[in-house]
Amino acid sequence: MRFLQTSFWLVAMCVFLLAVAAAQNPVPSPQPGNQVQPAPAVADKTYPPELVQSGATLFRQDCSFCHGRDATGGETGPDLTRSRLVRADVEGDKIGPVIRNGRPDKGMPLFDRSDQQIASLVAFIHAQQNAQHNRGGGRKGVDPSDLQTGNAEAGKKYFDGAGGCAHCHSATGDLAGIASRYKGLELEQQMLYPRHAKSKVTVTLPSGETVSGTLAYRDEFTVALTDSSDTYRSWRARDVQYKVDSPQDAHVEQFSKYTDADIHNLMAYLQTLQ
Amino acid sequence: MMNSSRHAFLLAMSALLVALSSGSLLAQAPDDPMLLRPPVDSWPGYHGDYSGRRHSSLTQITPQNVKSLTLAWSFQTNQTIPLKSSPLLVDGILYFTAPDNVWAVDARSGHQVWHFSYPRGEGEHIGQRGVGMYKGSVFFLTPDAHLICLSAKDGMVRWKVEIADVSKGYWTSMAPLVVGNHVLVGVSGDFDNLSGFLRAVDPETGATEWQWNSTPPAGSPNQTTGGMTWMTGTYDPDLNLVYWGTGNPTPVLNGSTRPGDDLYTCSIVALNPDTGKLVWSFQPSPHDTHDWDAVETPVLVDGDFHGKPQKMLMQSSRNGYFFVLDRSNGKSLLTVPFGPVNWSLGVDKKGQPIPNPAKEPAPDGRLIAPDEGGMTNYRSPSFDTKRGLFIVSAHPSWSVYFSKPADGTYGWSGADYDVWGTGVIEAIDYQTGKIRWTHDLGSESGAGILTTDSGLTFSGDAHGNFLALDSTDGKTLWHAGSGSHITSSPITYQLDGRQYLVTSSGGVLFAWALPES
Repeated sequence: MRFLQTSFWLVAMCVFLLAVAAAQNPVPSPQPGNQVQPAPAVADKTYPPELVQSGATLFRQDCSFCHGRDATGGETGPDLTRSRLVRADVEGDKIGPVIRNGRPDKGMPLFDRSDQQIASLVAFIHAQQNAQHNRGGGRKGVDPSDLQTGNAEAGKKYFDGAGGCAHCHSATGDLAGIASRYKGLELEQQMLYPRHAKSKVTVTLPSGETVSGTLAYRDEFTVALTDSSDTYRSWRARDVQYKVDSPQDAHVEQFSKYTDADIHNLMAYLQTLQ
Repeated sequence: MMNSSRHAFLLAMSALLVALSSGSLLAQAPDDPMLLRPPVDSWPGYHGDYSGRRHSSLTQITPQNVKSLTLAWSFQTNQTIPLKSSPLLVDGILYFTAPDNVWAVDARSGHQVWHFSYPRGEGEHIGQRGVGMYKGSVFFLTPDAHLICLSAKDGMVRWKVEIADVSKGYWTSMAPLVVGNHVLVGVSGDFDNLSGFLRAVDPETGATEWQWNSTPPAGSPNQTTGGMTWMTGTYDPDLNLVYWGTGNPTPVLNGSTRPGDDLYTCSIVALNPDTGKLVWSFQPSPHDTHDWDAVETPVLVDGDFHGKPQKMLMQSSRNGYFFVLDRSNGKSLLTVPFGPVNWSLGVDKKGQPIPNPAKEPAPDGRLIAPDEGGMTNYRSPSFDTKRGLFIVSAHPSWSVYFSKPADGTYGWSGADYDVWGTGVIEAIDYQTGKIRWTHDLGSESGAGILTTDSGLTFSGDAHGNFLALDSTDGKTLWHAGSGSHITSSPITYQLDGRQYLVTSSGGVLFAWALPES
């Protein structure tokens, strides 16, 4: 009897723990890259229709020009139904700050909206994301499977030869495992121009002393860097000489030289660097 | 012979008439003479005058003294939305806008005279370019595609008419153009397959006088929709022609359901302003699949072209080409890129670019120069008549465009992604297309261009710096950090013998002048 009781509780504990685990992980973790896996049968959170509707109206007024009226992307703005941030958002904890602060580095302005307005936008965006993957197909946007028209061998040849990539990059060095870090469209965009790469700058002061660091800001009038101790330092451009080192700008030289086939072949090759 | 009391009576009546007429003249501004030849103490339309050159004859501010330019006043709207309108100046009052909002501000002090606020309705609140004015009325377009007529004196609503059905996907954002007894308004809307149009309404009532449709009705087989009339056109009173640019076709990135040139999308058209009849058309982007509207200012210039006097029309277009046309008949004089373009097979006999089918959006993507935002966009260019320079804020850029059958044939029908771009002000010799000087901006700026006879080019960079450049070589002579994004084009005028430059950044309007002596 004692054994049975113990077994019963053990089984009950396992069932309980399994149930807790399932509740905490209702969807598989999203893959890197833009594609979001369809959710399993566990229901996505549903929002009150009136909240979603008022969110739809506000979304059209403020967001739709860039993100599309259905949030699948418009002029310049990304498809929110494929967004990892949206998938990870819980009741606006991630979406809210993006709306309130904007994304100045990416050209998104901030929007000064009430809690209720933010909640309605959050409801609408989630409802759109849920609707997209429940429907299946007919999505705008780019899947990794769209980008598989190239030839990896031709890509390697281009990488080592005419593309000039091997001057700065190595398949076994800096690019080892690149295809595990980036997938699909994100990989292609980074390949064409690595927008997150930071420039270095060396500033020569009138005294002759040089200061080097990561370029933090530059316009015609001011140059600034963060130095080796992460301290921000700036100078009037007219008071100093400076030299900016942006090796990523070699990518810009390549734009006019690529054929579209070169780009697809390069993608095929880079995707072998897992 | 008159007796003295009758003489006195007549004098009194004359004095009364003069007093009444000068009062009523004030209330009747701007009138046709003011719109045709704006006095220096005015800016009575979006472009200032009908030519779209945005070039001022004022010379008080010069390359020598501009370094002393200082803040005269600023006006803060206290809204986060960046101002995109060009203010109008009529009778000492500046009128400018944001979506759902019109402000009237004293141009001497920067203090508010009145503020009109439209109840926040449907429609995209992406921008508002400004008002049109005629004889004491202010004409204002709303995001929910209505035209409101306000009294210039106090902002009270005189009438309101619907221009388009916002529930179908239309919205409105442009600054109306007043030509004679016609208020010309255009529409926006790219996310639906909608027919574009330009409409003329009666300034007294808003009643439709005529409508010119840029594209056939939605649902016409193998025909395009789109051709939205996003921006304000220009007018030649001698030829009696209005010149208007039209937007891209819909579906945007997928041309399969609309074979052929897709007239009159991405076109420059000449219309009779009294009837709306099409007189001629030219197409900067036949069968466009990259969202490159041809709505940039059609700048009107009279001058020599290769030794021969010409009435010209110039456009620095979204698609990367600079066009010079004979504006009497639409014939091409010059077509030349003003930055990297990789999507065309060259230029045809009509001077129109030939789109390369291999560079249409594809399922696996196509690398395209320029990007979807284009080599330039809504920011106004300027034509410096003294130096023969067409000056534009350009955006050399690259992007990748995708479209696959699953994206459908409605609205956007695909996706495009920016890869890289920069910003540069270019001064183009209009007779050859050669770039005489450039001014690097670091990245794309939203600031338009204003030039003056004294040799100054006013604009702004991408970091919020207002700039005054030397028009002969593009060197910076003055700057001021504004602290936000510049998304408008500057204006200038003279008031009380003082020349003002008015710019905006974020939600703030700034007025600059030389220090008062």
